[in-house]
Amino acid sequence: MTTALAVVQMMLTAVRRMIWSRQTMISLLLLALVSLGCIAWSLRGERDAGDFLQQVLLPMYVAFLLPISCLGFATVGIAGDREEGTLVYLLSTPLPRPLIYTAKFAAALLLALVWSLGGLWVLGTAGGPAGREAVAVAWPAALLATLAYVGLFQWFGAVFRRATIMALGYALFLEVFLGNMPGIIKRVAITFYTQCILFEAAAPLGLPPSGPHSAAIFQPIAGSTAQMILILLAAGFFVLGAVCFSRREYP
Amino acid sequence: MNRQSSTGPRPAIAELNGVSKFYGPVMALNDVTLRLQPGITGLVGPNGAGKSTLIRLLTGQLRPGLGKVRVCGRDAWRAAAKAHIGYCADADAFYEEMSGRQFVRLMARFHGLFGATARKRCEDVLEEVGMADRADRPLAGYSKGMRQRIKLAQALLHDPDLLVLDEPLNGVDPLGRIELLKQLTEIAGRGKAVLVSSHILDEMDRLAQRVLFLCRGRLIASGTLAEVRDMLDDHPLKVCVACNAPRALAARLALHETVHGIQMQGGDRLILQVRPPKEFFPMFSELACQEDFEIRRLEILDASTEAVFDYLMQATHPAAESRRVSAMQPAADR
Repeated sequence: MTTALAVVQMMLTAVRRMIWSRQTMISLLLLALVSLGCIAWSLRGERDAGDFLQQVLLPMYVAFLLPISCLGFATVGIAGDREEGTLVYLLSTPLPRPLIYTAKFAAALLLALVWSLGGLWVLGTAGGPAGREAVAVAWPAALLATLAYVGLFQWFGAVFRRATIMALGYALFLEVFLGNMPGIIKRVAITFYTQCILFEAAAPLGLPPSGPHSAAIFQPIAGSTAQMILILLAAGFFVLGAVCFSRREYP
Repeated sequence: MNRQSSTGPRPAIAELNGVSKFYGPVMALNDVTLRLQPGITGLVGPNGAGKSTLIRLLTGQLRPGLGKVRVCGRDAWRAAAKAHIGYCADADAFYEEMSGRQFVRLMARFHGLFGATARKRCEDVLEEVGMADRADRPLAGYSKGMRQRIKLAQALLHDPDLLVLDEPLNGVDPLGRIELLKQLTEIAGRGKAVLVSSHILDEMDRLAQRVLFLCRGRLIASGTLAEVRDMLDDHPLKVCVACNAPRALAARLALHETVHGIQMQGGDRLILQVRPPKEFFPMFSELACQEDFEIRRLEILDASTEAVFDYLMQATHPAAESRRVSAMQPAADR
């Protein structure tokens, strides 16, 4: 019982410290900028939900804001303590390391979910009726992508000394660059699976569209398969991270 | 923890058996075997000797490459051992936004103490380290000495059997040092094992019952200071004697084979080089009584931790001695 309470306390402490962190300020700033873009978009004549998904959510939210927000919270959980030198206090407690990792993961996931879904709602609201309609379709994809990103970036935090830089490199290179390559190479990116879920859910709204995201070029997989892959990725990265954190020395 | 009767052999609270630790190609610790028993043990060595590595192994922050580290019978790496270990790290890191009291309470919760038990334990340890009346100020505004005390408080929260302190006297003012040393002595008096790493060798003399000397990853000597000093056969003990008739005393002492050198120091003083001390001191007492010398002062000059450390460094690596002064902290720190 006391072990469970100690883990909850560790999670709450991590949440409290992350809320008032630099990452929150950066995420807030980025969200504000993208929201302004949404407002500007909504003022430009008649647009429908399909347009909002294709012109706003895919390039600005799915490809940029979502991974950046997730990496901010997920990497700072463990890497932040490493950089500040406070990890030694956590590792000196009689809590098994997997539980410490779980507490940090839960804290990062909670904040990342609030941020990604809350951010999606803000963007939808800023985008007007079309935006709100698109958000109703997009939130399951955002939820699953957040799970996978938090699992991945928390693992980065357990493994790399400069996890935030590594995660930024991953998000900007692998997700953006490889995620937009033609052919199956894009399947290494979480964005691809997020888009597959979105396209299936938004089929009544006219997606997948023509152009670079056309079905012929994009070659999407079934939405249900993409959902399963994101869930498995999240679980796999969490287990991998917990194992690495349990075995690794942090001198 | 298995507690043994005080009539039996003293139980080892922590043990290292044949422990080696590698950082890539660098061997930080080389086949170290030791036992920590109740009482204060000092850990001494130049920079790079492996002190921090040994401490991190003992506190379960690192895993040995070879050998075993056990605390209260449990593998130090495992969470179960951590309940028996209090660790005061050398890093000056805290959750700066908190007050000292908030930080200690948080650590209590991490250790599974909640509610009234946690509050009482926090107040007890803050009182013990002399911070009860100052603990509501933010940690960011604390002096180095106050931060050391808060670190000590969080290490004491769960009443550990093994208390490991890495440079606990750094930045603590002289008065604070005296108080901290007194507290450590009290903690050791409660049957706890206390391991203190410090470069302030003068304080080791007053504090530690046993001393571990590390050099280049090897445990080169361990035991009480007197035991280690006795092992240094190449270095006769230097004894300062002041008496009413130094020349006459020197003439009488020169006849004894335990006295290897006599140096007149002006006035009433003699500096003797004696070996072995166990035979010299009984002979000296007898002589002083029989010949009616008035002995005004009798002092061993080179049995301090610092002197023993110097001799050990010379013995293990002569060139190291010349570098020792630069390897240790500046004298102004002591």
